[in-house]
Amino acid sequence: MNTLYLREERYFKFLDELSREYRVYLPVKAQGQALDCAFGFKAATADYALERYSAVPKDEIIFNEYRTIDPLKSFFSPPKEKVASNFGSPSDIPGDEKVAVFGVKNCDLFSLKIQDFVFLGGAAADPFYEKRRQNILLVSGDCLNFKEVCFCAALDIMPYALEGFDLNMSPLNAGFLVDVGSDKGKEVVKKYASYFLPATDAQLSARQKKREAMLKRLKDHLALHNIPRKEVIPDIVRKGYDSAIWKERMLTCVECGGCNMLCDTCHCFLLSDKKSGNVNEKVRSWDACLYANFTRVAGGANPMKSRYQRLRNRYLKKFDFFPANINLCACCGCGRCIEVCPAKIDIREVLAALAKEASAADGKV
Amino acid sequence: MENIYQPIEGIIEEVITESPTIKTFVVRPQEKFEFRTGQFIELSLPGIGEAPFTPSSDPNIKDKFDVTIMNAGKITSILHNTASNTSVGIRGPYGMGYPLDTFKGKDILIVGGGVGLAPLRSLLLALFGRMPDFGKVIMRYGARSPGDIIYKSLIPQWQQKKNFDMVVTVDRGDETWKGNVGLVTTLLKGLPINMDNAVSIVCGPPIMMKFATLKLLEIGFKPRDIYLSMEKNMSCGLGKCGHCRIGKYYICKDGPVFTYEQLKDLMDIWD
Repeated sequence: MNTLYLREERYFKFLDELSREYRVYLPVKAQGQALDCAFGFKAATADYALERYSAVPKDEIIFNEYRTIDPLKSFFSPPKEKVASNFGSPSDIPGDEKVAVFGVKNCDLFSLKIQDFVFLGGAAADPFYEKRRQNILLVSGDCLNFKEVCFCAALDIMPYALEGFDLNMSPLNAGFLVDVGSDKGKEVVKKYASYFLPATDAQLSARQKKREAMLKRLKDHLALHNIPRKEVIPDIVRKGYDSAIWKERMLTCVECGGCNMLCDTCHCFLLSDKKSGNVNEKVRSWDACLYANFTRVAGGANPMKSRYQRLRNRYLKKFDFFPANINLCACCGCGRCIEVCPAKIDIREVLAALAKEASAADGKV
Repeated sequence: MENIYQPIEGIIEEVITESPTIKTFVVRPQEKFEFRTGQFIELSLPGIGEAPFTPSSDPNIKDKFDVTIMNAGKITSILHNTASNTSVGIRGPYGMGYPLDTFKGKDILIVGGGVGLAPLRSLLLALFGRMPDFGKVIMRYGARSPGDIIYKSLIPQWQQKKNFDMVVTVDRGDETWKGNVGLVTTLLKGLPINMDNAVSIVCGPPIMMKFATLKLLEIGFKPRDIYLSMEKNMSCGLGKCGHCRIGKYYICKDGPVFTYEQLKDLMDIWD
C-alpha cells in the first residue's frame, strides 16, 4: 500500500481544495456521555460528532482520538427517507453528490462489510445505498485512545485500519501519514499531489510503535471485561437460547431502540406509506428489533411478544444469522449501544455472562 | 438504477366474496408482471400501507392475477371495503416459490388449512396445467367450520380432475355439513402414496403446519420431502429490512417455501 505524508500546516488548505469537489464531513468535539469503568480503568471522556466542514470554524476541527457518536451507516441510509412515490413517476435516486467523510474508524469500516452485504447483496441491490456508496470518499484514522465502552480488539478488530478505506490518516509528529487504500483514494492524492510527501521508513516504524502501544493499552482494559473470543461467541449465544440471562437483563429495558439506532451494523428498516398532498409516498425509516411490534403480523400474532425474546433476537441476529451467512459477527465493538442504553444493558457483560453459563454447563457434562 | 421500492400500478377488476371474512381480488397489473406459484407480492394501498400476499391464481395467466385475502388487520380491512376499479400498488414477486420441476415423476400430497388454500389454489392450477409430469396428486384440506371453507364452488370442479384426489374435512360441522369432521391430520393415514418417491406440501396456520408436519414424518415422509410455506411480516421482500428472519434465513428471500430439512434444527419455527 502506498503511504504518503501530509504536514499539519497543509491540512486545512487540502481540506479547502477537497471541499470544492466533495461535501466534506469531519469530526468536532461534542457534548457526550462518559461512562466510568466498573474496574476503575481511566478512559477518555470527550465525544466527537461529524459536521459539515463548511459549517464549523476551523479551530473546532480536530483529529478524533476514537470513533464519533454518529454511526457511519447514516451516510448511506439516513434515519428516514422517501424511497418511492406515485405510480410511473420518474425514479429519482438521490446521492449524486460526492461526499467525503473524515474521522471514520476501523470499527465503522468493519461494519460497512455488514451493511454492504445487506444493501448491495440480497435479492437485489438497494439503489439508494449503492449510489451513495459509490460517491463517498472514506477517510479513516488510527485510534489514539479509546472510550470505556470500546471493545473492538476483543473481536479481533484493530483500533487502526488496514483495509476498507479510501485514505487513512495516522497522526505522526506535526502531520499525518496517509495510506492510499483504493482507486478513489489514488485519484485524490494524484490530483492534490503537491500536498503530499513520500513517507519515510522511520515514519512508518514510528507509527507501528504507536499502534502497538495503543493496542496494548486497549487490551489491558479489555482483559478486565472477560469478553469471550469471537470464535466461540456464536456457539455461546446459541447454547444460551433458553438462558435466564435474557429475562434478567431485559428487566431494565425501556424499549427505546437506542441500541439499534446507534449500532454500526444494525440495518433493519420499516417501510410505511403516507400521503403528502397529492403524492403517495413510501418512506423508509430505521426500525428496531427491540420494539414490541417488530415482528407483529396482521391480526395481532407476534412471534416475539415477550421482551426477552427481542433482546435474544438482537444477539441471535448478530452472532448467529451473520456468522451463518457471511462468517462475520455483526458487532464491531464500537460500544455505542452500551453508551446509549439508559438501562445499562452492556453487550460485553451479556456475552461474558453467557460464556460463563456455557462453560459451567460444559463442566457439568 | 432500478428502484426496488417503487410499486407498479394494478387495478382491482373484481371482488369475490369467499366467506364472511375472506375475499378474492382480481387484479390487472398495468405493466408486465409475472410470478411463479408460491412466490408472494407486496400489495399496497397507495399512501396507506402495504402487506404481503401470495397470489392464488394460475401463474400461467399473465394479464391478471387473484389474491385471496382474509380480513385480519389494518390493510386487509380497508381492502375488504374496496370496490372494483380501485388502484393498488404491486411490488414483487418475491421469494423462491414451489420448485415444481423437482417434483417431476413424484406423487404429490398437498395438505391445506383454512385460508392456506389460497396459495395452494395457485399451486393446484399450476399442477393441473402439467399433470402428466407427476404421479398421483392428493389433496387434504381442513377448515375450522363449513363456513370457513374457501373456493366452495371450485372444489367440486377440482374433484372431477383425473388423477387428482381431494378430501375436505372440518373441525366442527353444522346441521348442513355431511362431510368429514376432524382435524386435517386425521386424513393423512393410509394414503396410497409411495413415500420413497413423493413430496408433501403444507400450507395453513402455524399450529396446523406443525401438527401436519409431525404427522407426515410419522407416516414416513423424509424432512427433505416436506415443503412448508412459512409466513412472517415480510416487508421489503428483498432480504434487507430484517423483519422476517428465521434462523439463518429470511423468509422473503430464501423462502417463503422451505423444506422441513432446512428448518428442523431452527428454534421456534411454528411461532
